[in-house]
Amino acid sequence: MNPIHFSILLFFIGLYGVINKNNLIKKIIGLTILNGSTVLFFISIGYRENGIAPILSEELSGELMPVMVNPVPQALMLTAIVIGVSVTALALALIVKIYEKYKTLNIQQLLKE
Amino acid sequence: MKNHLPILIIILPLVFSFLILLFRKYAFYLSLTGIFVSLFFLLRLSSKILRGNRIIYHLGGWEGPIGINLVIDGLSFYFSFLVLCAGIFIVLYSLYEEKYSSTYYFFLLLSTSSMLGIIFTGDIFNMYIFYELLTISTYLMIAYLKKGESLKASFNYLIMGGVGLSFFLLGVGFLYALFGVLDISHIAERFLVIFSFNQQMVMVAFALILIGIGIKVAIFPLHGWLPDAHSLAPSSVSALLSGITVKIGIYCLIRLLYHIFCSEEYFFIRTGQIYLILGSITLLFGATMALAQIDLKRLLAFSTINQIGIIMIGFGIGTKAGFTGALFHILNHAILKISLFFCAGIIIKKTGSRLLQGLKGFGRREPLIVLSFTIASMGMIGIPSVNGFISKFIICSAAIEAGFPLIVVIIIIASVITAAYYFKIIALFFDLSETSAKITKPFGGKNASSRIIFGYWPVYVLTGISVFLGIFPKFGINLLEPAVKLILSNFIP
Repeated sequence: MNPIHFSILLFFIGLYGVINKNNLIKKIIGLTILNGSTVLFFISIGYRENGIAPILSEELSGELMPVMVNPVPQALMLTAIVIGVSVTALALALIVKIYEKYKTLNIQQLLKE
Repeated sequence: MKNHLPILIIILPLVFSFLILLFRKYAFYLSLTGIFVSLFFLLRLSSKILRGNRIIYHLGGWEGPIGINLVIDGLSFYFSFLVLCAGIFIVLYSLYEEKYSSTYYFFLLLSTSSMLGIIFTGDIFNMYIFYELLTISTYLMIAYLKKGESLKASFNYLIMGGVGLSFFLLGVGFLYALFGVLDISHIAERFLVIFSFNQQMVMVAFALILIGIGIKVAIFPLHGWLPDAHSLAPSSVSALLSGITVKIGIYCLIRLLYHIFCSEEYFFIRTGQIYLILGSITLLFGATMALAQIDLKRLLAFSTINQIGIIMIGFGIGTKAGFTGALFHILNHAILKISLFFCAGIIIKKTGSRLLQGLKGFGRREPLIVLSFTIASMGMIGIPSVNGFISKFIICSAAIEAGFPLIVVIIIIASVITAAYYFKIIALFFDLSETSAKITKPFGGKNASSRIIFGYWPVYVLTGISVFLGIFPKFGINLLEPAVKLILSNFIP
């Protein structure tokens, strides 16, 4: 399976989790999967079969340039992962506060109150 | 120094926001200075930009598609001016609203800084990062009071915003896979070549980005988070969210969709018509839902959805007059909505009730605030002599010129509904049937303190500006003329 197709599949699994689950924690798990799928998507854009890290050195200066992976998506995804983690942490903190107030994490019961 | 002004404008509020955490006692003064200095630097660039030039700043000296560019042109100048001016009013009003801790001012400045970042950046991934920073600080400001309802509203916004930004990031990923660069102007240069042999992928990227930003702008089917988030936040934060933050999403729509996906004739459906349809539905939906509300701030939140629809219609028409009207309406809506939310904050503080029924007889207690509220709501409805009328009129005449008479009918129907729900409130202000016995002393007695000045004067000044712009619209239109020219020339100055 092509990693790009797999990441799109993961994206929809995450979306399903966010939309369809009643528990707030499960919604956050869905959001994390959603975030992870975009990370996988970016990484698979930059991936090359048998590629090496793109570092120029003396040995590589000949005519036969080996295949190199694209480093830009990896650099971008480091930032996106950090942002994803901080959003998850914030969401979990909010969930703790909500649980202290309402003593439930079920969204149907939360909507009634 | 002069060469580095663009980055200083973004960095200064950020630096001051962290200074606030160090010197907690002076939080209010530090936040005010941060925004003022930033505004001062922006105004130093104004003469060059209003003449139609554009300033491109290379971060770290790396040019073009390798590095990140900051672009200040007519459009970004207009929006950043709006953000900074509104920021000053909101900081001033915050002093009246409640004794906020330094954390509140920290998030306020952080969100200002990230909004400026979104506006200036020329790199699409950088835009995503600043957008995440902006939304994280708004989640925290909505949940600031830590009441049950506002926590739920904040969580709701977090889920919607998180999904929206994931869509946006996936769209950016598609664009990067297709074009190999992230710089907006470089993507736009390569657009026609790539589009000619990879139509479907470009369409997917367009759809993903439209959905992602659509959630942030609260276009009709994606609006679910807005009424809760905007009505349950503290009033000053509501003013920030409704007046400014929503407009940042519109800025992204203009910047990305009219710069990158500008070639209307290459789409099966023209992008402009998508905006027209979405705008009309949003407009009618927002107006109808606002009519049914019994909570004052919730009503104002739905009114925001209503006005967003008008702005979308203006951009959808796609002529010079349409863009002028839409950009001018962004300014007018920001002034009027900030003023309305400030009034709502004062009213809720004085009467202790969020419900419309609790407002009975308020007109006798605070005549000046009620007058300001009335003037601002006249602007929202579109009654002449207030600025909202001018922009609505420009959009309507643009619609007739471009041959969309149905749009004018829709705008007029929505304006009538808008009149219905605002006049309902104004009628309640002067309803003396029940509360006439309870009228307390008018403002100015022993309760007057220096804090009250900060609550009332921003409202008066904003009302003054809205009437001034209603009588002399030339001042507002001059400010946005470079922006309109830029959009019409596909961002090539």
